[in-house]
Amino acid sequence: MSVAQSAPAAFTGRPGALARLRRLEPASLVWLVALAGLAALVAVPLLRLLVSSFQDTDTGAFTLGNYATAYGHLRDVLALGNSLLYAAEVTLVSVVLAVPIAWGIARTDMPAKGFIRAMILGAFITPPYLGAIGWILLGGPNAGWLNRVWMALTGSGTGFMNVYSFGGLVFVTALYAFPYIFVFTAAALELVSTEMEEAANILGAGGARTVLRITLPLVTPAIIGGAIVVFLDTVALFGTPAIIALPARVRVMTLVLWQFFEFPVRAEAAAAYAVPLVLITLALFWAQRMVLGRRGYVALTGKGGSRRLARLGPWRFLILGYALLVVALAVLLPFAALGQAAFSKAWGQGFSWGNLTLGNFRALLADDNSRQTIAHSFTYSAASATLAVALALIVAYIVSRRLVRGGAVLSLLCMAPLVIPGIVLAIAFYATYAPPPIALYGTASILVLGFATRFLPIAYVNCMAALRSLNPEMEEAVRILGGGRLRALARVVVPLLKKNLVGCWLLVFIPATRELSTAIFLVGARTRVISVMMLDLSENGSFETLAALGFFLLGVTILIVALGYRLLGRDFMLRRS
Amino acid sequence: MHLTRRAVTFGSLAMGGAALGPRQAAAQTGAQMGAQTGAQQSLYEAAKKEGQVAWYSGILDQPLCDRVGAAFTQQHPGIRVNAIKTTSEVAFQRVMQDLNGGAVQADVFTTTDASHMSYLVGKGQLVKYVPENAKGMVPALQNFDPQGYYHVSWVGLVTIVYNAAKVKPEDAPKDWMDLTDPKWKNQICFGSPNYSGLIGDWTVAMTEKYKWEYFEKLNKLNPLIGRSIDDAVTTLNSGERMVAAGNPASSLRSAAKGNPLAVNYPTSFTVADFSPSAILKGSRSPNAAKLFMEFLAGPEYSKILTDSFEQSLRADVPPPHGAKSLTELTVFMPTLANIEKELPGCKSRWRDTFGT
Repeated sequence: MSVAQSAPAAFTGRPGALARLRRLEPASLVWLVALAGLAALVAVPLLRLLVSSFQDTDTGAFTLGNYATAYGHLRDVLALGNSLLYAAEVTLVSVVLAVPIAWGIARTDMPAKGFIRAMILGAFITPPYLGAIGWILLGGPNAGWLNRVWMALTGSGTGFMNVYSFGGLVFVTALYAFPYIFVFTAAALELVSTEMEEAANILGAGGARTVLRITLPLVTPAIIGGAIVVFLDTVALFGTPAIIALPARVRVMTLVLWQFFEFPVRAEAAAAYAVPLVLITLALFWAQRMVLGRRGYVALTGKGGSRRLARLGPWRFLILGYALLVVALAVLLPFAALGQAAFSKAWGQGFSWGNLTLGNFRALLADDNSRQTIAHSFTYSAASATLAVALALIVAYIVSRRLVRGGAVLSLLCMAPLVIPGIVLAIAFYATYAPPPIALYGTASILVLGFATRFLPIAYVNCMAALRSLNPEMEEAVRILGGGRLRALARVVVPLLKKNLVGCWLLVFIPATRELSTAIFLVGARTRVISVMMLDLSENGSFETLAALGFFLLGVTILIVALGYRLLGRDFMLRRS
Repeated sequence: MHLTRRAVTFGSLAMGGAALGPRQAAAQTGAQMGAQTGAQQSLYEAAKKEGQVAWYSGILDQPLCDRVGAAFTQQHPGIRVNAIKTTSEVAFQRVMQDLNGGAVQADVFTTTDASHMSYLVGKGQLVKYVPENAKGMVPALQNFDPQGYYHVSWVGLVTIVYNAAKVKPEDAPKDWMDLTDPKWKNQICFGSPNYSGLIGDWTVAMTEKYKWEYFEKLNKLNPLIGRSIDDAVTTLNSGERMVAAGNPASSLRSAAKGNPLAVNYPTSFTVADFSPSAILKGSRSPNAAKLFMEFLAGPEYSKILTDSFEQSLRADVPPPHGAKSLTELTVFMPTLANIEKELPGCKSRWRDTFGT
């Protein structure tokens, strides 16, 4: 910049703003756009929610009455306690299900990795409603398949499991939530170089000790990130509790919330019930800080690294066996049970050759409307995932590299949308985006923005964990050599975190395809999506078509995932020997 | 306003209007469809300029709503129907948000919860319109709103449903009290008034007829309590339970595919719930909205309903195969005022009794 150019600014007496603008890196503009996007997408709806929680339903006047209505009954407060217990147990079970398999796939010579990976993402795409029904067919106390087999084998008069119980609720929820932790952890493990493990070996630590003391602690941020997402997601979950908790007579928060939408309708009380849930997010942040402390988790440095897969010998079949058991419980068994419906003319008749048909699939694919609906879901979800990952990566970069002050507020903004139950958040979205000036009523954009906001937390947690594993020295090298922040981000960070980002994209894409509560508020006459279609099918009793749709989704997702990983190419850190 | 409770016997009320056999009725239907009255003609002319009508529906399902829309457009070329089917709770919240945002998006709103309508009437947000075609509806469905703001577009019934592969017809429960028989221990299921409006009506009706004791007896049988009335279809088909309080429409639809479900209309009375439609004030297509209200009250719409095993609203459209028409049934429907008065207490007692 020449002196002549800055001189007039000095004469006009406004040196500050203009000079600062001149010195702006192009990167700063990107940061500003991202922060503005965050404000519009998240802060505005959340603020609206907060305001409405203090408004009288009829007059709009200020009141604390909504909080009294929401928290005035002991049993409603107890339901919140149940929800927290439920979410904690689901998180624990999910960690136990996910981490060993993630380690097996990322760090060992376990066989059949592609199959297990595909099945785990299959579990993820299974709508909770369908997974829960699958497990009712398997574990129902009277007619569940597993119970009938048990009774036939033992001659016992009663089955050995009852899916309609708190334990059943936790188990079934965890089966469809653990993929969050799996994807986070596997991606992080893939970045850990072998040097430290080798150092441990040289110092005399055995294989198991190395894994427990070196490898897994290095990916703690990823495991905790996944656990936070599972916890928040479970607190806000409605589908599985509606099918299993209700008959089990277990009251959780989302079920209580529903009563505010029945006569007499009090949406403002629902907002009041939901607003304090943001505190849960805060508490989790605090817990995360306590666990992670000031320790370092850098796995990727400028010195390069390489990774060697642990040779497990015969033990590799043990880890494969565990993985097979988990995917059998999550996918193979429930889908076998659902298959009876998907391939039947009338599933209530039970299995017979005459009852077999492909008609449900044909009806699904021959119908223009349902084909369009499926196409909508996939395109909107893909757009949402791309938007959410881009926004999350930029904000996470700003926060983790401390480029602006107030990082904690940004983090909270990025995390809050997950814990607030969909139906409450959806009203705020609708109120923000649908009317003028944004005026997105009935458009595809409103759905894309809604999904991107709802699942931004997943992308954010993932990006934060990934950036923690990356030593800033490489970005600094770019800067020293004259490159800007954007160049460092585009040419160093993104390529290095390629696998994390793809995993992250999937983690937003998949929940977006199955998200109902946001979708049902935002759909227009020409923007229908699969989840809304599923609700219709479940309500009109077309269980055969619904199950067929579940199979179709499973197949398509596995295809997309297989293709995605093939396109990503060879693992550049894998040492070939 | 204080409405008295009423039990309605459709048969006696409807005889005057519906003394025609199904065949004659069908013939009459055909004639009616061709000819529209002069008033409807001028509505049509005005509606054509609007070109479309937006319908928020809390009833039926999306494909069926689209079929209703297509049939309307066929009868009134040049007017497209944008139907959005959600749940009634969501549809109502969308209406409320639209009103607050000053942009009314829906012309016609249909809900399974009539209290939504009384709320909107109280706020002055509905347009008063009595369709001419309402004259042809089953008499008991007429004048649901004496002021003429909203009109019945769907009738939900609660009956006994059972798994016919596991229960013989002679052993199946015939009336409501039969469900409390100890032989159904661990074998009965129903929805919850906390999540389903239809079950809410059923709860109020049963309490009125048999006192709360009825539910205490049911609780001794360890019932499986789901959410919606239609959960019964899934639970019975899966074989997990054998008998239920369920919706005959979804049960018969599933049975028509070959599923082993059968319906018993209880001998004493069937519980009914009326879902009304209304025109929202300040909407974009007020004329098309009126025309659409005519269509919902007309015979073509009722035929679409019966094709899908839903209840016909008109005496001149015969009931679906295997179902009974409203005129043959003894129906008990708690009034809206009664439901608004009794339901909150019932929901609370429900939580005490069933713990859910």
